[in-house]
Formats: sequence, structure tokens, C-alpha cells
Amino acid sequence: MTAPSDEIKQLRPELWETINERYPGSMITKTDFVPLARLSKLLSQTRLTFVSSAGIQPRGSMPFDVVHPVGDFSFRRVPSALSVSDLEIHQIKYPTTGALRDLNVIFPIERLQELAAEGLIGELTPNFFSFIGYQMDPEHFEQTLAEDIADAVVSDGAEAALLCPA
Amino acid sequence: MTVALDVTEHCKPPRSVFLPFMMGHHFGVPFHRELQLRIILAALDHLIKTERSGEIHLFPMTWAQVRQEGKVLEAEL
Repeated sequence: MTAPSDEIKQLRPELWETINERYPGSMITKTDFVPLARLSKLLSQTRLTFVSSAGIQPRGSMPFDVVHPVGDFSFRRVPSALSVSDLEIHQIKYPTTGALRDLNVIFPIERLQELAAEGLIGELTPNFFSFIGYQMDPEHFEQTLAEDIADAVVSDGAEAALLCPA
Repeated sequence: MTVALDVTEHCKPPRSVFLPFMMGHHFGVPFHRELQLRIILAALDHLIKTERSGEIHLFPMTWAQVRQEGKVLEAEL
């Protein structure tokens, strides 16, 4: 089922204001929808990327700072050809019970590799992209990390992206 | 891909898939390969078919159903 956002009833309409009262400016509210960019070619000819805030990173890379009071505004490139055993999670702000047993429940790298191998997706970008959520300065986040990731995604030649906020 | 409908409504992305699952489990439960694929395919289908910005696809499974499938799957492993 598909529905326009304005036809869906808010589950917790007061929560947003409550959080913003306690942590001013911490929650993002946009007034306009992002303009729709249509896919310009068949999916089987499209280069897809995956962007996640799950704190997934290649083993041995610099761990995310998960205890910084404001946030860690860096990201990691995760080569899309890696196997799950090459990856680890550095984030403590969401339940990782499933992901610690099968990383694909939050970072489905194996499934995306399979879909690309089958030809349903044209190809994957050389890298996927990962950062950590729970950033307490959304304006700084938009001006720095979001722009940095967008540049990296474009640099990898992505034509479509799945975004997955953990 | 979102498990937080209210957050998504405030951020207003052009298209999204709402998965009514536990946080951190957007693609279901461990080792449920078929479900993980189904969720990705739902997102890719929505990527192609969205007519106007703001459309949210509601994935037609509950977390209880997903957990039950996971239990059955793991019992067979």
C-alpha cells in the first residue's frame, strides 16, 4: 500500500515538540518535500549505492566516536564487494541484537551483491557509505556530513541510492 | 527505508518505505534471506513507481509476523 505522507496520521504528534523543548534544535522539520528525481534508465542498467547510519565500517578502520555528546560528523566508505565478515558495527544507539547475528538485517550487503550478480540491478557503486546517527546538531550535520556523503556518492557514480537511517 | 514514520514525515523525503519493525531491524530478522530480498525489492519498486514526492510505501507485514517467520526459519536451520 502506498500513501501520500499528508494522508497518514501522526503516531506521536506531541513527541517532536517535547524533544525540541528539551534539546532545542535537535529534531529536523522540513516544510517542503524534496523534489522527486525520477530514475532515468532501467534498474538493470542503473548503478546503485547504499547509505546507512548504522555505524557499519570495515574492520580495522577508525571507529566512530559513539560517546561524543554532540556527534561524530565523519563517514566511512564500505567497499561494496566486501563480505560480512570484513565488517563491524560501531554504534550503541540502536538495538543490534539482530545485526550482530546477521548484519544483513541492517546493512544488506550480501542481498545487494546477489541482486547485482543476477542483473536485476545494473551494478553497485564501488563503495557504500556509513555514518552514525544520534547527531545532536542537525544544522551542522546538513552543512558538513550530509554534503560530504553526497559528494562521495556522486564521485562513485551512483544513479540511485537506498538510504537507511538506523 | 524507515522504521520511524513520524521522523520520516518531518524530514519529507521524496519517497520512502515504512517498515513497522523494531529499530535496527529494517530488513527483518537474521538469516531470513527471502524477506531481506523482498524488502529491498519493495524499495526498488517504489523507486520506480513513485508518482509524486512524499509517497510512503507501507510494507505489508507486522513485526510480529516477521518475528514468527524468523522463529520458524531458525527452528529449521
